[in-house]
Amino acid sequence: MKTEMPLSKPIRLFVKQTEDILDTEISLLRNPDADPNGTLVDIYTFNIERNVIIFPAHYIGLLKDFIIAKHCVNLLIKGAAVKKSQYLVCSFTGDSVYQGIHQIYLDALKDEAKKEKKLPVQKLIQMLNILYSDFNDDINELPWNPITNARVYHKMPKIRKTQLYYLMKEGKMDMDEMMEFEDIIPRRYFVLNKAMFYARDQYLAKTLPADQLMPVVNIPQMKKFNHLEVKEMLTTRWTHTSWYQSKVFGDTMLEIMEKYLQKIDWNAEPSLDYYHEIYQIGVNMTNHFISYMSMKGWFVWESPKHLQQAREKKAEYEFDALKKIFGDLIEKSEINGDVKP
Amino acid sequence: MTSKEVEGLLKKGRAYAIRTKYKEALAYYDKALSLAPGNPEAWYLRAAVFIETSRNAEALKDCERAIALNQNYADAWSKKGHALYNLERFEDAVFACTRALALNGNDASAWYIKGVCLDELGRNDEAQEAYGKSLELEIILDMEAEKKKVGK
Repeated sequence: MKTEMPLSKPIRLFVKQTEDILDTEISLLRNPDADPNGTLVDIYTFNIERNVIIFPAHYIGLLKDFIIAKHCVNLLIKGAAVKKSQYLVCSFTGDSVYQGIHQIYLDALKDEAKKEKKLPVQKLIQMLNILYSDFNDDINELPWNPITNARVYHKMPKIRKTQLYYLMKEGKMDMDEMMEFEDIIPRRYFVLNKAMFYARDQYLAKTLPADQLMPVVNIPQMKKFNHLEVKEMLTTRWTHTSWYQSKVFGDTMLEIMEKYLQKIDWNAEPSLDYYHEIYQIGVNMTNHFISYMSMKGWFVWESPKHLQQAREKKAEYEFDALKKIFGDLIEKSEINGDVKP
Repeated sequence: MTSKEVEGLLKKGRAYAIRTKYKEALAYYDKALSLAPGNPEAWYLRAAVFIETSRNAEALKDCERAIALNQNYADAWSKKGHALYNLERFEDAVFACTRALALNGNDASAWYIKGVCLDELGRNDEAQEAYGKSLELEIILDMEAEKKKVGK
């Protein structure tokens, strides 16, 4: 690692350890336009020479450290998979896109039948594509989130308050996701999407002991949570949303999460074998989620390169899927039209 | 050359520095300093670029020039702390950051560097206190950044 940025001691050591285990190099990059979650551009996914962790320019202290720690864990999992077996992600093919979009379409029809005001065709088409892509993104990210968070929590006690703030912020962002499509997305998918995040929040609330994560009361955003434990904070927020019904599905997803993640010894000494085992647990948990959400056949486990190429062909796959569903009723212009929900 | 023109050179330098075009930024700062060596901000800005390009000894010298011109220049003290941290002079860095914070208690970066240096020195309780202050300020900065984004 080469950087002129100050780094807290545990993070500096963790980055060094990551580099040593994987025999690789990590660069840190500050960018004003970076995603608030930071971005990991790694050699196992992209054809590049060294790994880069990018974070927003205004993350100057512990927020930056937390992002770096989280992405180091991600990198270790990916790297261990590559070195010990194979690193695969949930990709898609023309056939899997058809299966996903077709299923969403059938569910949308059931919802539409109950509605007085029907959804215009272009909006419906747009919704099918967006929803499928969103679930692909979420299934590639969400199962790994509790894993990286739990590992960072056990590995780096000094940044736990930062982690708490970050979780509250991230949870809020995830809770708000898709809200603008509330009226057009079939209920089932909206609930499933929220349920995934609900399960993640509840798992972390259980895993991260409250006594050490008491809110930083001087921070205005935290004041409303004063005197509440972490679990109460996360639960309180979920029970105050209109998506409380996500709880039923979310509780089952939480059980799935716990079933797999209880196998991990969070305090174990880091090694390639250790992170490879975590990778395999993550893959199995992802498969269980896919099965629980009745999305079998929607995605295929393939290399990151396959996913990149699939993304390039996404429009083509979507058009072919829609053509199969709607036949000659569909024209390319209807799909490419600038349709806003 | 008027002070307005020097200000213009510093502004251009800053614009390049933000985009990590350090070579170009340095050229503007050098020009500004050759015309106005009594301008503490120019020394401070050049020090910031030196740090980004791993020229920490030169950064330290520039910070000291800025501070000699203005003893109460909080940002220059903070940047001096950063340069000293990179030079692994942790005790001196703690002193510089403490001085920066006496002048501006809301400098999240100075609190953080102070915490990092105290941590390196094994002064854990003091480090935790400094990290705590740094985090509070950083979160406020983050919330402001979020608000701006929403506004956009």
